Amino acid sequence: MTQQTVLPEERAHPLSAWKRLSYLVRVKSADPTLLLALALLIVFGYLIFAPVVLLLVDAVTVHFADTARTRQDLGDLTFYYLNRVLLSPISRDLFWWPLAHTAIISAGAILLAFLVGAPIGWLLSRTDLMGKKWFSTALLVPYMLPSWTFALAWLTLFKNRTIGGLPGWMETLGFTPPDWLAYGALPIALILALHYAPFVILLFGNALKQFDTQLEDSARSLGASPLTVARRIILPLMMPSLVSAATLIFAKCLGDFGVAYVLGVPVGFDVLATSLFRAISTSQAGASAVLAGAIVLLGSLSIIIDMRLLKEARRFVTIGAKGAIAREAPLGKWQLPAVAWAFAVFLVSAGIPLAALLLTTVMHVPGSFSLDNFTLDYWIGTDLGTTALHQGILLTGEFWLALWNSVWMVGLAATGAGMLGLLVGYAVVRSPVRFVSVALRQITFLPYLVPGIAFAAAYLSMFAVPRPPLPALYGTPIILVLAILADQMPFASRAGISSMMQLGREPEEAGQIVGAGWFRRMRSIVLPIQRGALVSAILLPFISGIKGLSLVVVLAVPGTDLLTTYAIRLVDYGYSQAANAVVVMLCVVAFAGTMLVQKIGKANLSDGMGSK
Amino acid sequence: MSSIVLENIRKTYGRNAPPAIADLSMEIGSSEFLCLLGPSGCGKTTTLRMIAGLEHPTDGRILVDGKPIVSVADGLFTVPEKRNMGLVFQNYALWPHMTIRDNVAFGLTLRKMPAAERDATVDQVMTTLGIARYADRYPGQLSGGQQQRVALARMLALQPSVILLDEPLSNLDAKLRLEMRTELKRIHAEAGSTIVFVTHDQWEAMTLATTIAVMSEGELQQVGTPDDIYERPANRFVAEFVGNLPINIVERDDGRSDALHAWIDRCLTLFAVDGARVASAGIRPEALRFGSLSDEEVTRHAAGQGVIVDIVPTGGSWIVELDVAGHRVFAIATEHPQVTTGEQTHFWVERHHLHLFDRDKKRITL
Repeated sequence: MTQQTVLPEERAHPLSAWKRLSYLVRVKSADPTLLLALALLIVFGYLIFAPVVLLLVDAVTVHFADTARTRQDLGDLTFYYLNRVLLSPISRDLFWWPLAHTAIISAGAILLAFLVGAPIGWLLSRTDLMGKKWFSTALLVPYMLPSWTFALAWLTLFKNRTIGGLPGWMETLGFTPPDWLAYGALPIALILALHYAPFVILLFGNALKQFDTQLEDSARSLGASPLTVARRIILPLMMPSLVSAATLIFAKCLGDFGVAYVLGVPVGFDVLATSLFRAISTSQAGASAVLAGAIVLLGSLSIIIDMRLLKEARRFVTIGAKGAIAREAPLGKWQLPAVAWAFAVFLVSAGIPLAALLLTTVMHVPGSFSLDNFTLDYWIGTDLGTTALHQGILLTGEFWLALWNSVWMVGLAATGAGMLGLLVGYAVVRSPVRFVSVALRQITFLPYLVPGIAFAAAYLSMFAVPRPPLPALYGTPIILVLAILADQMPFASRAGISSMMQLGREPEEAGQIVGAGWFRRMRSIVLPIQRGALVSAILLPFISGIKGLSLVVVLAVPGTDLLTTYAIRLVDYGYSQAANAVVVMLCVVAFAGTMLVQKIGKANLSDGMGSK
Repeated sequence: MSSIVLENIRKTYGRNAPPAIADLSMEIGSSEFLCLLGPSGCGKTTTLRMIAGLEHPTDGRILVDGKPIVSVADGLFTVPEKRNMGLVFQNYALWPHMTIRDNVAFGLTLRKMPAAERDATVDQVMTTLGIARYADRYPGQLSGGQQQRVALARMLALQPSVILLDEPLSNLDAKLRLEMRTELKRIHAEAGSTIVFVTHDQWEAMTLATTIAVMSEGELQQVGTPDDIYERPANRFVAEFVGNLPINIVERDDGRSDALHAWIDRCLTLFAVDGARVASAGIRPEALRFGSLSDEEVTRHAAGQGVIVDIVPTGGSWIVELDVAGHRVFAIATEHPQVTTGEQTHFWVERHHLHLFDRDKKRITL
């Protein structure tokens, strides 16, 4: 059978472009991966890229309300807002003081987080600390709960007469805390530090764990003193993980709205996030765009620095290489003090605040421990004689609505994010066109650079007016679902990409060989194999979304309240006990969810922290 | 049962990359058991995957039973789902979330075979391959050898017209290799299927295939029976690639004239070969004879002389290393060699065991 129909001379001529194209179309038609990737690119271009770009455009174009002031037409290019926020007389209150405050509390939070977290990271990774396993979960509890929960707890304990409402425990016990202890920079920094100390514990601890003790040993055997070893060997190798933890904490502090809102705003202590919130709630679209832009800029810078350092760190790891047996240093007589200290940190960062919150919800007057002061009214009472909220939380319709909203909106968003994340993973790993896959990966990572409150501002820019094919979405649940979904895409797509990388092509190719088309392969092979990854790609965004405040506080209205925004609304009204009760319920949901994820398996809390 | 023809296949990855396969044409006859043999990166797996449809050629045609399934010039490409070929992956690629039975039955389910008939087919295939008792387990619970049987069963259940295997024995231990070799031979004999497999392992190629196609750098070097390939290598590459212990090569053009070169010259004279064309000569270690000869025998065999440097037992045979004027020459003894290290010895070769190559490294037929 020799059918030499194509002679070599003929082959020298290039085939017509048309023929080649029709051949390639036929080859690719069996595999709609590229189409999928392009479709996803359009979806996320609309849901992530467009809002952020629009936000930046909003900062330099004239808004309807300001046409008279700027003497320009609607939509014209203007520096009015930049000037107003950065240079005008009110810029001090609008931007510069909040910026300084943000810098102070971030620096304070980073410093304190290191003082608390680094020793614990070492204790957990390199010593024979008693109850290590328990501590390694217990000390992460603060991160599983919303940061402003602890602000509420702080208020419960240290609130003084400067602001209205019920007294704090200290006040009741006969000691009036001074303002600097009750509000402002110190408590905010302290709470943020305790909340983000788990970053340090995990990142620093993991780095120490991977650190090859042979490096220490060889330095010691060459005659270096322990101090020299720590300074010249360990510290330089730990540097990337330390700086990485610091930049992450900075980025998080930047976008953290709740803590400063609870502890700063009542005494006029503004940070960038709260200043942005005020600008949004007073309808200064241009100014809020500039503020949000500034936050995005700072956030991106810190994350980019972090990514650089992580790359650097990876270079170090190759040196550390094999034989890394994490040797446990015996604590000996220091065992008890170490355990006591770790436990004290647990008490301060989780135990006492949670207990205080919980106790407040069953007390008429906070901090008064007489028996007749205890009550379940705030949970299940009726006819309480207050202006609003006449009954306990569990009997209040709004609470259940908020809970239901939280569950279905965040649930829907998380499910969407998880599924899309998996599809993104598939498209990124399999896309035949490299450019499309890179673009998709970058665009789904973008929200990570944009702190929650700025992302919410971006969503307002985008969806406060009709954007075909969608109508104006402000006030609807849809804007919340979309915003939460988009905000969770960085984690969801990372999870999707890494699980698809591990899958490899063969199982799918084997399906192809036995005759399964693309959709059948997705349904019967790819998705079932990735079931575990899908579960964690849904659950982790769910937990992170359900405790999130910064993003939704701007977008929720009373009808679309979530647990977080409902609790903040109660704080605003001065119903401390009810607010605390809501927060306790929120903690229960978030904590149960986290435990569930860890039980189910592979997903690890540290994965959600951007440590990889 | 089906014949396969590859016509002027070219494959490039990316516009500016050098072609993985420059211009490959070959025919695989119906019911042939063909091996694509070559070092890694020679394009053999790419060729296999192009036959299966998992890769597409940049140019050329592929025909099955005379009908083109791929023809770039005509814009024709049959998707792998529609080719009815069976492929067993190197790592088996069983679906981890399906039981063994479901793995085997999946293809039949896609073909909408009635349940009763499907179950009967699946049972029969699993029984033949001796995996029926694992039917309800998951792939992760089976050993490598069992997994391979499942992969074979999954492929055989569909009665493919062409069977493609990617390094079928490479992941198995020595005992299982023999077992699986028998199994594959049986499948070939019973079904009479056309089987194409790729490997870099010459043992795998020699023991399984009826025809071996040796490839290097995307080009076909030689197609022939295992004996052809081993005993009559078409060029230096094939001669050097095939063989457990590398073939001894004497370069006549390397500018030296020492005892080894002199020995080859005497051999050529003895065998009445025109030495002008011969650029190099090769002697397989097992063809190199050695021992003490009388003067008369030395002349008769054109024997050379060397020193025994090392004797390495390999279990059942011995590798004997000789030093000839600074060259290392290897011989294999199947009986315990009656020589000791440091001893002088004669060595010689029979005429039909001497491989000669010209300046283009092509074989010179004696």
